[in-house]
Amino acid sequence: MLGGYAIQTIGMPGSRSLLLAGVVVALAATIGAAWLHEVRPRSVVKPAAQTVSTPAEQPQPRALTTDEERFATALWAVHREATRSAVAMSFAGIAYHTEDRDARALAQRIEPLARFFHNAELRVRTMNSPPSLSRTHEKYIDAMALYANAAAEMLKFTEDGDAQRLDAAHRLDVRASEDMLLVGEVLWPGQYKPH
Amino acid sequence: MGTRALRIRSFIWTAAIVAPACLFGAAAKAQQPICSAWLIESSRFMNVPFGSFMPDRAFVPGSTKPESNIPSVDLPVNIGVIKCGNELILYDTGWKQQEYLKMTGSEHWAPLPDQLKALGFNAADVTKVVIGHAHWDHAGQLSDLPNAVLYVQREELKAIEWALNYPEPHIRAVNSDPGGCNRTPACGYMPLTVEEVYGKVLKGKAVIVDGEMEILPGVRIHPAFRAHTAGSQLLEVPTAIGKLVFGSDAFSSYEAIRDWMTANVQQTDTVQQFLAYEKCYKITGGYNNCVAAHEPLSYTDKYPITKNSWVALNGGRMAEITLAPGEKSRKR
Repeated sequence: MLGGYAIQTIGMPGSRSLLLAGVVVALAATIGAAWLHEVRPRSVVKPAAQTVSTPAEQPQPRALTTDEERFATALWAVHREATRSAVAMSFAGIAYHTEDRDARALAQRIEPLARFFHNAELRVRTMNSPPSLSRTHEKYIDAMALYANAAAEMLKFTEDGDAQRLDAAHRLDVRASEDMLLVGEVLWPGQYKPH
Repeated sequence: MGTRALRIRSFIWTAAIVAPACLFGAAAKAQQPICSAWLIESSRFMNVPFGSFMPDRAFVPGSTKPESNIPSVDLPVNIGVIKCGNELILYDTGWKQQEYLKMTGSEHWAPLPDQLKALGFNAADVTKVVIGHAHWDHAGQLSDLPNAVLYVQREELKAIEWALNYPEPHIRAVNSDPGGCNRTPACGYMPLTVEEVYGKVLKGKAVIVDGEMEILPGVRIHPAFRAHTAGSQLLEVPTAIGKLVFGSDAFSSYEAIRDWMTANVQQTDTVQQFLAYEKCYKITGGYNNCVAAHEPLSYTDKYPITKNSWVALNGGRMAEITLAPGEKSRKR
């Protein structure tokens, strides 16, 4: 209300008292704004001392045998590209939704990934693994197949526009990535570092 | 007299314009919500060599200097929980991939929905999630927050995709060599995490942010590009103890902000990281209200803003940073 009153006085020349009122309001408002700005708490703190962390006992993963190591190394050649391709598949979906919803562009992104995962499944299937890693081996094959199926679903979407296919593809992707992580836990326990 | 009258009249006009502007500005400021804020520890990375976290704090055997005599530290993975009126906002979401636990030597992990419940919140009530960046230990568990809208910088997404498609394999690497890709542009963005981000996009619950954005009155996203990753972003939050700025890994360490040291150098331009520090100084008036993601001193009185803390699920810690007027304490 005070501000409204001040506005109403504008345009009444010759009235010293109203002029004074305008000036008072302006000063009061400025002081008020400054008070609001200054009254909030400021950060003032003394430097803190650092504590020393004492190393705790950590359960270490079992070391791989020579045969297991050989399989892990052979599979790594696929895994390194599979990891990148899996991320690229998600990005193809993100780009489709956040850019121009161009189905052809999506297909162009997915086609090479579909080929890669199809070939990766075949390649991993033909690898020899030691008996101790047979379940790990199977899980990785499953992961490649799931990614390949996800890519196929995305490609079908680019043809028929059925959005449910993208949901289905996403679910397959998630399952594949979970499988791949479980394999990584056995074969490449140092793959992921604190970030 | 004529000149004098003219001066007086122009002064009246100026005063008339300034006074309401000041009043309306003050009123608008007064109408900003005062938010409450908590910090929860998603997990803790154990025994990380200090020098790999903060190069200026590298351990020197036999040294008596305080900055050189600490071999390793435990790094919390902190999540900000912010309540502004009816809005429940998370800043970062930690990670849920239990399989990583063995890979990284982490401890004290608990599911985010359970941690929220321990604070008296429901995961379904989270309305907004702002991720400081999309690394795996900051952007997990999104699918456990079904109603939350995700805010991520376009720059973050663009940079990852650029790296993925780069012809040189050492640059496009996604964790392609165990322990060896910490500096590559796409390192830290593993398939499951990016799928969580994609899941939000797919459900129409993602906002791709271009630079600065106010997501609620007074709650503002600030870009901090390359301060940790290409599209890092900060979150300014008005509270009863002044403004807070959550910084994720652009603010990895409170001590680093205080002492102007770089920390957690990943895809980081250290100059940009310092500029992010400066942004917090400017917004909050100091370093004490800068909320760090991995500060080893978190949940102790040596990081004052987090000192009101307690141990919650699975040994993970929580802190009550500040309460809005009328907000009850959730400290257990």
